[in-house]
Amino acid sequence: MNVLIVIVFAITLIYLSMTERFPIYAGLIGFQGILLFALSFLELDTITLATLLFVAIETLIFKVIIVPFMLFRIINRTGETKVHAKALPGFYSLLFVSAGLLLSIVVSFSMKTTPENMIYFIVAFFAVYTGLFMIISHRKIFSHLVGFLVIENAVLLLSLAIGSEIPMLINIGILLDIFVSVLILGIFMMRLKQHTDELTLLKDE
Amino acid sequence: MSQCELVLLGFFVISLISGVTVGLVHSRKLTRALTLFYVLVHVGFTLCCWVHRGETVFGYFTFDPLGVLLLSVLSLLTITTVYHGFIHVRDAEPKVYSIYHAALIGLVASMSGAYLANGMTTVWIFVEATTLAVAALIYHDRTKLALEATWKYVFVCSLGIALAYLGILFLGFTIHDARLLHLSFDSIAEIARMANPLYLKIAFVFVVVGYSTKMGLFPMHTVTVDAHTVAPPPISAFISTTLMNVGFLAIFRIYALFSATSILPFMNHVLILSGTLSLLVAAGYMLKARHNKRMLAYSSLENMGIVAIGLGIGGIGYYAAILHVVLHSLTKAGLFYQIGQSHKVMGTYELEQSGNYMNLYPAGATALLLGFLCITAIPPSGMFISELYLMKSMVVSGNWILLTVTSLLLCFVIYALLTRVLHIVYSPPREKPIHEPMKVNPLQTLTQYFLFGLVVFICFAQPAPFRELIESIVNTLPK
Repeated sequence: MNVLIVIVFAITLIYLSMTERFPIYAGLIGFQGILLFALSFLELDTITLATLLFVAIETLIFKVIIVPFMLFRIINRTGETKVHAKALPGFYSLLFVSAGLLLSIVVSFSMKTTPENMIYFIVAFFAVYTGLFMIISHRKIFSHLVGFLVIENAVLLLSLAIGSEIPMLINIGILLDIFVSVLILGIFMMRLKQHTDELTLLKDE
Repeated sequence: MSQCELVLLGFFVISLISGVTVGLVHSRKLTRALTLFYVLVHVGFTLCCWVHRGETVFGYFTFDPLGVLLLSVLSLLTITTVYHGFIHVRDAEPKVYSIYHAALIGLVASMSGAYLANGMTTVWIFVEATTLAVAALIYHDRTKLALEATWKYVFVCSLGIALAYLGILFLGFTIHDARLLHLSFDSIAEIARMANPLYLKIAFVFVVVGYSTKMGLFPMHTVTVDAHTVAPPPISAFISTTLMNVGFLAIFRIYALFSATSILPFMNHVLILSGTLSLLVAAGYMLKARHNKRMLAYSSLENMGIVAIGLGIGGIGYYAAILHVVLHSLTKAGLFYQIGQSHKVMGTYELEQSGNYMNLYPAGATALLLGFLCITAIPPSGMFISELYLMKSMVVSGNWILLTVTSLLLCFVIYALLTRVLHIVYSPPREKPIHEPMKVNPLQTLTQYFLFGLVVFICFAQPAPFRELIESIVNTLPK
C-alpha cells in the first residue's frame, strides 16, 4: 500500500510539471498533502504516536487545508490562472522531468538501501528535482512558490522514510518551516502583486 | 541547574523578553534602553562562554572554540551595529523604530544560538530563525526594492534551508541508534566513520548547497547580494559578516565531522570548486558593479570563496580560513558602516553619482581608503597574513594551477575595487545625485577606525588567547 501511495505521489509530480493552470497546481499540492497523511498513517507501527499526531496535524490541517486555501485565494486575488506565455512547453517539460526520474532511480539504486527505502528515495529525489525544475524553468512567482512547496513535500516524504529515527527536534524544525511557508504565502504574495508578478528590479546593469 | 545552564537559559529568556517588549511597546526611549541593556547582556554572556569554554549545556549547546570565537566577533559587532543602527533609524516612526530593534535582538539571539548549537538539527532551527529575523530588517525601508529583496531572501533561504534539511535527513539514515537521535556533533562523528560514503557525500553536498545561501557562497550567493543592496547599512554589515559566519559554521561543522572518513578528498574538491567559482563570479561582477553596496556584497562573495578554498586545501589553509573569517568580519562591517555614511554625505549609492568624497568628508574618505587597504589584503592589513597563509598552503600542497587562478582572480578584484574606491574618493561625480547630501559628525566614524585598527594590529601581533583558540579549532581537523 505504501509503495502504491508513493507511486501516486510520483505521478502527481509528473502532472505538476506538465500542467499550465494554477488552480490545478493548488489542487495537486492539496492532493499530495492527503497522500502524505495516508503514508504517515500507514507508518503507524514504525513511528511513535506523538510523531504521528504531529505529522497528521502538519499534513491534514496545514498541507491539505491551509496551503491549498491560501493558493486558491492568491489565484482569486491576483487573477493569474496560467503560467507565463514563454514558459517551457509541456512536452519539453515532460522530457526534462523524465530524465530527472531516471537520474533519481540511478542515484537511489547506487545507494544500496532496502527496497522499501529505495522507493522513498527515488520519489523524494524526483520531487526535489521537479521542484527545482519548476523554479528554474518558470517565470511567474506563483510557479516558484509551488516548486518550493513540492520540495517541502519531498522533505516530509524523506522524513517518513526515516520513521522512528526522527527526533522531536526535527519536528520543531518542521514547525518553523511551516511558519516560513505561511509567511511566504500569506504576506509577500499579497504585497508583491501590488508591484509585479516577475521580480526583475534588483540586478547588475 | 549548573551555572552554565543558568547563564544560557537566562540569555535566551532575556533575549525573548527584550525582543517582544521592544516589538510591542512602541516607545523610543524604552527601545533604546532595552537594546543597550541587551548589548551589555550579550557581552556578559560571551565572557561567560569564554570562562566555561569546552562545556556542553543541556546536550543541545556547547561552548566549543569555534562557537566562542564567532560569538566574540558577534558581540563586538553588535556594539557597533547597534550604535550605527541608532543613528540610521533615528528619524523613523516609533513603530518602525521598534520593529527594527526587536528584529535586531531576534537576529543576534538566533545567531548566538546557531554558533553554540551542539547538533545539526539545533543549528538548522537557529539558521531558520535568522531568516525570519533578518527578513524584517531587509524590509525596513518598505520600498518596492526592499519587498523584492526580502521576498527573494526569504524564498531562496527557505529553499536552501530545506535542501540542508535533506542533508541532515541523510545523516539520519546513517544513524540507527536510539541514543544518537539528537544528531549531536560527537555522535555524528562516531557514526560517520562507519557510514556508507555515498550517504555522507550526498549529505555533504546538500548541506553545502543549502547553507551557501547563508554563507553567501556560489551557487546560492545571489540573494545575499540583493539583500545588501536594500538593507540598512548596519544590517548589511551584519548580513555580510556574522550571518555569513553562521553559514560558514554550519558547513565547517559537517566538514569537521566527516573529515575523518574516506570522503575527505571529495569534500575538499567540492569546497575548492565552490570557492573558485565564487571568486570567478565575484571578480566578474565587481568589474561591472555600478552600485557601491553591491560592490561590497560581491567582495563578501570573493572573501567567502577564499575561506572555502582555504578549508579545501587543508594544512595551514585551515588556520588561514578561520583567521580570514574573523578579519573579514571586522573589515567588512567597518566598510558597510562607511558606505552608509558616504550615502548620507553624497546622497547616493550609485557609482556614477558618487565622487569628491575626500573634499566632502575627509574623515570618512580616509576610513574608506583604510578599509580598502584592509579588504584587499595589502599590508599592513591583517588579511595579508591570512591570504599569505592561504597561498603558502597552495604552494605546500603543490596546487600550482589553483594558485595561478586564485592570484589572477584576486588581481581583477583588487583592480575593480581600486578604480571604484579612488573614483568615489577623488574624482568629481559624473551625474548629479538624486537625494540631498547631509552632514556626518566625524566622531561617528571612530568605530570604523577602531575596527580597521584591530585588523591592522592582527598583522603585527596575534594575541596568544586568540591564536590558541584558532589552533584548537584547527587541531580538530586532519593534519
